[in-house]
Amino acid sequence: MRFIIIGAGRVGLRTARVLRQEGHEVTLVERDAEKADRARGLTFEVVDGDGSRESVLQDAGVADADAVGALTGDLNANFAACLIAKHHGCRTVMRIDEDYREEIYQQYADEVDEIVYPERLGAIGAKNALLGGSIQAIADVAQSLQIVLITITDGSPMKGYTLSEVALPSDSRILAFGKANDPLGIPLPDDSLEAGDRVAVLAEFSELTEVRQLLVGDESAAAAVAGGE
Amino acid sequence: MGVTAYILVKSNTSEADRVKDEIEALDGVTDANIVAGDVDFIAKVAVETPGAVKDIVASGIQTISGVETTQTYIAME
Repeated sequence: MRFIIIGAGRVGLRTARVLRQEGHEVTLVERDAEKADRARGLTFEVVDGDGSRESVLQDAGVADADAVGALTGDLNANFAACLIAKHHGCRTVMRIDEDYREEIYQQYADEVDEIVYPERLGAIGAKNALLGGSIQAIADVAQSLQIVLITITDGSPMKGYTLSEVALPSDSRILAFGKANDPLGIPLPDDSLEAGDRVAVLAEFSELTEVRQLLVGDESAAAAVAGGE
Repeated sequence: MGVTAYILVKSNTSEADRVKDEIEALDGVTDANIVAGDVDFIAKVAVETPGAVKDIVASGIQTISGVETTQTYIAME
């Protein structure tokens, strides 16, 4: 696919790198000459200029782009870029700078298809590192809903039981299950839980502690609820 | 002749509708919008004196729960 990334800073440049690694075509837009040069040094195609101006986005090829990521630190520039990109029929992704704005943009900004709050993603990574081992947050699906990947340990209360015997709290679901050395797959009621097996669970934040105690045990019970805020 | 002013409001809550309703309910506020960008609302006020603008901002908008800062611009024409 063809993507335009506005902002060649920490967030934009990394996004461009990942997209390129996966074989996509990426054009960066950057108004700071130094940052633009650095991106060119990494052999990216870079258009110099303000990504909130239509002429600049046209130079970057907005007419043929599939999606535009407005990933600068400037909220006004990001929103203007999304307005223009949407007008040209692109899917739009906008970076925001404060978490309370996520819901506001989701509700009111029809021109923005998706919102990214990099600090939230960074926090998930940091939290996983801190919690260590047997529970790993995969995604915050909604304000109060998270997917976690849990590895069954020798101390898990449910070790030796089958999935059908696992009585999760009512606002939690098992999404996928994988034996120790196999990839994750669709969970079957007769799958039995052994040490090293992994279970992906969708749960309300308020129920994560209970889910953890059931599947992991008390090992990490002292740690804060994953992602709770 | 009256005074027209625009007040830019930054909040710290996702309850945009509630804050907007509370701003609009203030006497002297003729219009309020939720806006994209680094402020969250812009309110327009039409009153008799500059002092009345100050009252709306200080004892009105700034006392609404979730309002963080305001910037006031008085129209010159």
